[in-house]
Amino acid sequence: MVELSTPAKWALRVVVISYVFLLVGWPMITLIQNAFSDGLGNFQAAFSDPDVVHAMIVTIEVSLWAVGINTVFGVGMALLLVRYEFPGKRALSALIDLPMAVSPVVIGLALLLVYNGRTGWFGPTLEAHGIQVIFSSPGMIMATCFVSLPLVVREVVPVLTEIGDDQEQAATSLGANAFQTLRRITLPAIKWAIVYGVVLTMARSLGEFGAVKIVSGNLIGQTQTASQAVEQEYNNFSQGEAYAISFVLVLLAVLCIVVVSLLRPKEPSA
Amino acid sequence: MSIDISHINKRFGDFVALDDVTVSLPTGQLTALLGPSGGGKSTLLRIIAGLERADTGTITIEGVDATRTAPQKRNVGFVFQHYAVFKHMTVAKNVAFGLEIRNRPKAEIAERVDELLKLVHLSQFAHRLPAQLSGGQRQRMALARALAIQPKVLLLDEPFGALDAKVRKELREWLRRLHDEVPVTTVFVTHDQEEALEVADEIVVINDGRIEQVGSPDQLYDAPANDFVMGFLGEVTQLGQERLRPHDIEIALTPDLAGSIAADILRYTRVGFEVRLVAGTEDGHEVSVVTTRAHARALALEEGARVWLTPASGAATVPAMEPQVLETAS
Amino acid sequence: MTTAVLGQDTRSVGRGRPGVHSTLTRGSSVGLGLAMIWFSLLVLIPLAAIVVTAGQHGWSGYVDTLKNPQTWAAIRLTVTQSLLVTLVNVVMGTLIAWVLVRDRFWGRGILDVLIDIPFAMPTIVAGLVLLGLYGPKSPLGINVANQRTSVTLALAFVTLPFIVRTVQPVLAELDTDVEEAAASLGAKRATILRRLVLPSLVPAIAAGAALSFARAISEYGSLVLLSGMLPYKTEVVSVRVYSFVEGGDQTAAAALATIMLAVALFVIVALDIIQRTVARRG
Repeated sequence: MVELSTPAKWALRVVVISYVFLLVGWPMITLIQNAFSDGLGNFQAAFSDPDVVHAMIVTIEVSLWAVGINTVFGVGMALLLVRYEFPGKRALSALIDLPMAVSPVVIGLALLLVYNGRTGWFGPTLEAHGIQVIFSSPGMIMATCFVSLPLVVREVVPVLTEIGDDQEQAATSLGANAFQTLRRITLPAIKWAIVYGVVLTMARSLGEFGAVKIVSGNLIGQTQTASQAVEQEYNNFSQGEAYAISFVLVLLAVLCIVVVSLLRPKEPSA
Repeated sequence: MSIDISHINKRFGDFVALDDVTVSLPTGQLTALLGPSGGGKSTLLRIIAGLERADTGTITIEGVDATRTAPQKRNVGFVFQHYAVFKHMTVAKNVAFGLEIRNRPKAEIAERVDELLKLVHLSQFAHRLPAQLSGGQRQRMALARALAIQPKVLLLDEPFGALDAKVRKELREWLRRLHDEVPVTTVFVTHDQEEALEVADEIVVINDGRIEQVGSPDQLYDAPANDFVMGFLGEVTQLGQERLRPHDIEIALTPDLAGSIAADILRYTRVGFEVRLVAGTEDGHEVSVVTTRAHARALALEEGARVWLTPASGAATVPAMEPQVLETAS
Repeated sequence: MTTAVLGQDTRSVGRGRPGVHSTLTRGSSVGLGLAMIWFSLLVLIPLAAIVVTAGQHGWSGYVDTLKNPQTWAAIRLTVTQSLLVTLVNVVMGTLIAWVLVRDRFWGRGILDVLIDIPFAMPTIVAGLVLLGLYGPKSPLGINVANQRTSVTLALAFVTLPFIVRTVQPVLAELDTDVEEAAASLGAKRATILRRLVLPSLVPAIAAGAALSFARAISEYGSLVLLSGMLPYKTEVVSVRVYSFVEGGDQTAAAALATIMLAVALFVIVALDIIQRTVARRG
């Protein structure tokens, strides 16, 4: 295997480490410094405000819903894509990846156009039946689902593909029906893939900003999310509070990454 | 009663996997489906199990039409080439699976699992995970798992294909002894003719989706129905217009016997107690001959020697097919 | 955290027989139906709404929206900045992946976590965090706030993980035997890298670059605080769309959004092609 010369190796390390440090590392340090610039003062100021606390709760609630829905959809979709053949499968598989490439603003606009209570395609009908989507939780949940849609699917599909359906066939030959096979054999086998997908979805959902901003209407104390609260605090010159809330959000995100990192078996490396 | 396979046809797209296959497999017998890869034997086995569905034809298991029955309901035990162990369950749990699905009482399950693990000599591994077992042990576990549900039929799909040569040999003998102890109707698929000859009571030779011959190992070896069966079950060589086994050729130093053909020894190899010769006839044809070391020494055979070849009396022969002439486009 | 983009063919293992059109059972058909209903309500219909709404003023209306000077400036800025950042990522991403896979040093684990942070961090916070170090109160004395450089900086931040995470697994799985064979035949290190290693990485880099470009074009949150969203100077397409939405001009918003959608679809198709090519090569 190619081994770089020692000076080249060191030069490469320096370049890479400096780049990542200047781009991500140092800004993170700045975040911590600014969040704790007043000891715990910023945190107290931020979280004594009931609206901020409400924003955090809204964020967590919406994220949990999105995680739940996407996990069910993700596992189901993965099973369909890997274990069956049907017309249009390839197109569907590609479309599921679409949310990775679409702008959050476009996602928000798209949902707005369909579910908006006045001029939307379905909005007025839904509101007539008492279901408000835009400027309300359902819309926020949908927006969050949209942005994190592929995450569980993409974690589960490779694992399902790799383990093959031998075990499932064996279970069938031993008398298990479809549900028993799913519960006792398939799901336990993809357990960890589901866990990774869930954690990634959680991280992405907690952090969603653009799409939710359009769909929620940013109604303080009602539909404002934590990330929108950050923007508001900053624009109100309460920078300390903005940093405090940001710190909490980043901490949660980093926790998610670290958890996945620790759980996942080590990647083979040279 | 037995397994009756009647006029089974199966295609995958344009590929014909099974072409009008009809055969009966007697109860309690150990039958081998033998043939080259891609010949249709695994497909047939899976159709018997219900894991594949035939296009036309019927499958009758112990007098009951099973053609449309779901695999779960056929009470057929299946053993896969790559074991298909339930990775996240212990050995004991694996074996117990079929019984748990049938909601048998816990005490009964525990007893049966114990019994089976003893049968396959895996008792001390009961609480280990399959990953901690060797390939051969995993396959024995898979067998125990299939036997746990007391199947009417036991099907094995190239069960030893993924194992080392030595383990393969051991497990072959073990399977034969197991069958003597637990005489369930057993069908196993293999492409290894030695395995089929050693283990099976009866062999069904399948090639290109069709049955070439059905018979006991001796019948197939000594009285092959056609060139394919002969060639597949053992070495074949051609002497004159006949195809026969290399060890069925008599060598003499003089043209005593009528019809003997002259040849010169081109290559001479000793393998163990055998001596393998390649002799070239006057018309340029090469003949393989196998004889014992003692006999070769007695005749003082060596490369370049002139010998006379005759088929042994009573040797199984098959008339040669069209001579293989390279056709040039005209 | 790896983005399993390449080599994951979703055709079922061992069961993909030629000519079989559908192997769905009754239960799975129902499942597929339900999934498709949800998928349509969530994704397909809303995206269709964008395309339909964009055309509400006809073709000339559509073109006029795009030709508006401020909008056109936003488009130009977004595309050039995204291309620039993608190029930077192609180089840096590959180098970072190399260091992560083939080098061992204390702190490599921390580097690994840092790479994933931009992916998991709320974008508004990303902007805030970059502002802290490269804004008015910068301890480094560097202030790029409200300048074009801020756009480059923000985009570089949010797209950092993409190429790294697509290249990393491929690099890790590379058959080093091939490199050793080349070395035994007399090839120098640089040659081996150039003619053996790099070509095998090209699909992974291309996939990562496609994702990186799509992400950069779509970026919104990190630019809100950092770039000042100044028209003609630092206003990107997503910001323009947002202001159309706030202003109630849904048609203009949708028109501009179709461009972003076109890019997204293009990227998805490109990824699919790359994946097929890789699968074919085995």
